[in-house]
Parts: sequence; C-alpha cells; structure tokens
Amino acid sequence: MAKRSLALQLDEVVQWMLVSLRPQPEETPDRELASLTRVAQALRDLPREEFRVALKSDLQRRASMSEGKAASASAAGTGEAKAKTVHYQRPGLTAITPYIIVRPAAQFMEFLKSCFDGIEQMRIPAPDGSIMHAEVEIGNGAIEVSDGNAEYPTAPAAVHLYVDDPDATYARTLQAGATSFYAPTDDHPSGDRWGAVKDSFGNHWYIAKPRGWTPGPEGLRSVQPYLHLREAHKMIPFMETVFGAEALGVHKSPEGIVHHATIRIGNATLEIDEAHGEFQPMPCHLHVYVPDTDAAYARALESGATSIEAPRNTPYGDRAAGVKDAWGNSWFIATYLGK
Amino acid sequence: MSTRRPLRKGSAKDVDEGVRLGTEQSAGERVLVEAAQSDPAKFEVLYLLHFERVYAFVASRVRERSTAEDVTSEVFHKALASLPSYEWRGVPFVAWLLRIAANAIIDHAKRAAREFLAPDDPPDRAAAPDLQASEMRAIEYRAQLFLLVRRLPEVQKQVVYERFVEQRSIREIAQRLGKTEGAVKQLQLRAIQNLRAQMEGGHG
Repeated sequence: MAKRSLALQLDEVVQWMLVSLRPQPEETPDRELASLTRVAQALRDLPREEFRVALKSDLQRRASMSEGKAASASAAGTGEAKAKTVHYQRPGLTAITPYIIVRPAAQFMEFLKSCFDGIEQMRIPAPDGSIMHAEVEIGNGAIEVSDGNAEYPTAPAAVHLYVDDPDATYARTLQAGATSFYAPTDDHPSGDRWGAVKDSFGNHWYIAKPRGWTPGPEGLRSVQPYLHLREAHKMIPFMETVFGAEALGVHKSPEGIVHHATIRIGNATLEIDEAHGEFQPMPCHLHVYVPDTDAAYARALESGATSIEAPRNTPYGDRAAGVKDAWGNSWFIATYLGK
Repeated sequence: MSTRRPLRKGSAKDVDEGVRLGTEQSAGERVLVEAAQSDPAKFEVLYLLHFERVYAFVASRVRERSTAEDVTSEVFHKALASLPSYEWRGVPFVAWLLRIAANAIIDHAKRAAREFLAPDDPPDRAAAPDLQASEMRAIEYRAQLFLLVRRLPEVQKQVVYERFVEQRSIREIAQRLGKTEGAVKQLQLRAIQNLRAQMEGGHG
C-alpha cells in the first residue's frame, strides 16, 4: 500500500519535472520522496546511449586517421608494439591464473605444496613479514597467492584441478583440514572422475581426472578457475567482448540457465556455471594476460565493469590494469612487455 | 621486480578522488594520457573514463539536449586534436577537458547571441572557468549516477531511458513494454531507489 503510493507520488514529481524543468515545490516535505526526487532531477540530464556510442565511433575514426604518424613514432622508441603482439604473456604463467588472497598465505602455500605437489616459484615478502606476492606452480598451471591488505581483502576462490590421482589428492586435502563436499565419483555429469572439497581457508577445490575428454591443442590446463555466478549466461558475452574469449562448450537448460561452460582466453580456460546449492558466488581475483591491456580495459568499462586501476606500466615489466565485473570479480589485466 | 597485481592501491580510485577534489593528479592517469598522446587510438580509454563527467558539466549549463550533445562532441574532438600539445602541469586531465567545455559553451552562447540577442549582452553565467568544489562534486555525482544507470536491471534501465531521455509518458511506456501503467510506475520507483541506494553506499 505505502509503496504503491510512493510510486505514484514519485511519478507526480517526475511528471511535473519533465514538463516544467524544475522539481515540484513540495508542500509537505517527505524525506523519502525528497531524496528520490534528487536522483530523478539528476536523471533529467541523462545522456542518450546512442549518442555516447556514436561519439565514440566518431572519435575512433578520427583517431585512426591520425594514427599512422603517431604509431611509427611510438614503435621506433621502444619496440614495444612488437613485443606486445608476439609475447604478451609472462613466462611461467598462462593466460588465466587465479589470484587467491587468504590468510595466512604462507600456510596456504604449504597446503598447495603438500596436497597438489605445488612448486614455489616466487615469494615476495611485505615489510611486515606477510606475503605480498607469491606464485606456486601446479601441473602446467599456477596459482598466485597473497596475504592481501586493506584494499585487497581475503577472497577465496573455486578452482578446478586436473590431477593424476584424484582419490589420493582428495585424501590429502582432508588430512590437511579440508572438508568434503563429496568424494571422487565416476558419476559426475562431466564424465570425469570428480570430487569436491572446501579447504580451511575457504577455497573450493574440484579435484578431477579427465576421462574421455580430448585436450585442446595445448593440452588440458591443470588449474582452471571455476566461477559460480548468478545470471551466468551474461558472463559469456562479457568475456567474449572484453578478452576475446571463446565459449568451448556451453550446456544450457531449455530456460537458458548455464549448467556448465568452458571459456577459453588465450591459451587457458576457465569454467562457469549458474550458482546453485552449496556452490554460491565467490567473487575472486583473476590474473589475465591479453595482447593489449589498454584495449581490454576500455572494453571492460564499456561492458559495465568498474575501474580498479587504470592501465600503467609496472616495475616488473607488465602493462597492467584492474577492473571489477558486475559479479564482483576483480580482473587483473596484463600485457607482458618483455624485457 | 616488486609486486605483482593486485597489491598496489588502485590508482583509478585516486583519479576519482582527484577529480572529486579537483586538485590532485595521479600517476595512473598521466600514463593513460601519455599513451593516448603517442597512440591516438588509446584516446578511447580517456573518452570512456570522462564522457559522463563532461556531459554532466555541459548539460548542467546547456539545457537543450541537442546543444549539450553538440558541445560534448566538440569538446572531445577538440581534446583529441589538441592532445599532442597537452602538457603535464599537475592539472587533472578532467579539469583540462572541462576548461575546453567551458570555452565551447561560451562560443555556443556567443553564436546564439549573435543570432538572437543584442551583441553587447555577454553570457556571463557560462563564463566562469574555475569550478567551485561544490560544482565539481555535483558533476561527479551525476557522472557516477549516469554510469550506474547503465548497470540497472534491463527493464528498469529501459524505463529510465524512456522516461527521462525520450520523455515518454507512463502510458506510452506501458504500451511499448506491454505492462500496466501501475507496473511502469513501480519500475520507475524501483530503479530510482536502486540508484539512490548505490549512490549512498559503496562509492567512497
């Protein structure tokens, strides 16, 4: 009742505003209505979407006309353009790496080593002794690890691991304090032998051995981030647009709900599905290598992501930027400049 | 090699803070501008970052939508053309854009004045190029709001665009969307409540 009348009241104000170009003088000032009116008032100046898009293409056309001379200037300076197109990935990392921030990170690294035969490749301590950044190689993939800080708080992730012996790996995780969702079974819909656990840091591990799966040209990735999403179907066009991703297998219900999809970016894959049951969204951090960070960053903003960090050249030789998608995942977009 | 992502404080946030205060400049934005100076194709990023701000500023001073669009378009074309001569003096890029905008608005007003008004009746209102902090905050508020509209659930977004941009009546929108007028009013309320909630929280 009250809500309905608020809708009517608000529309009266809006109607008045659109006709007279000013808000209706309110005789009985209602705080709720007044604060909504403020928003409505600002919306009067809302730009046309078609205009925003058309001006962008205009500017792109104009920019490409003057590009010739500028491009030769920049390429001559650094040789960067060449490096970008040939080697845009940092050696040792694939196109997609989960960046897992949990505390204490040092303990988490031990977990990765003892359960998954992880090999520590790098560990950079922060001044306070915590781990600022570390990399652990697992199979033909890697996981990046950090204790995080105020800006980058704890964010456990879900990861699909391909291992040689899922039963033994599963058992090791339980010994290391993980709890079981279910033991490895041959009845998993994927057709793989597949078990699932949650470790004591809050991460999910889907531990599997491929059976009857034909690996891609570069082989199956040992480490694949697994995103449980609400409205998962919308993630596919987002990743296609922003990262030039390719959906390799999409299983949808007749209503369009994504039961499972494998998405390829560059030489790596990740998986998504519609959040369900115990497998609810876990917004996480992902590190992605792309040929052109600036372009991917721009496309991400265009596609509704918000900026965490604009593109910049990092001291470790990547051009890097950060965005947060509509699901709350952070994407660290990078291009290895090759030094 | 020091840190890998994501361990450094986000400098895009610094850009936003700087814009909000109208004073600071961030290294991140400087890199963006320099990238665009050496490769004009990268101007797109600057456009995407600042479109809403420039438009909000122009629309706040120019009532007519078509004029606001003309001026906004002029501002970005001029900015793209003058980018090579843009020099870094610690002035936020957005302040540079808004200065171009303020001048474009004056030009427009002068042209209009030549047609309709006595020549010695200068349009003072648009002339102040130095923005007050309060006006800067108002621009930032609107820019943020415009961004959030694009992220509303589809049907709410549609109602907002139909109502505020196309200025259609509730009845017309109801017909176009195949809904009752009551439902459209509810959607309008839901959309605005949604926007208000997001403007209040999580954007510090």
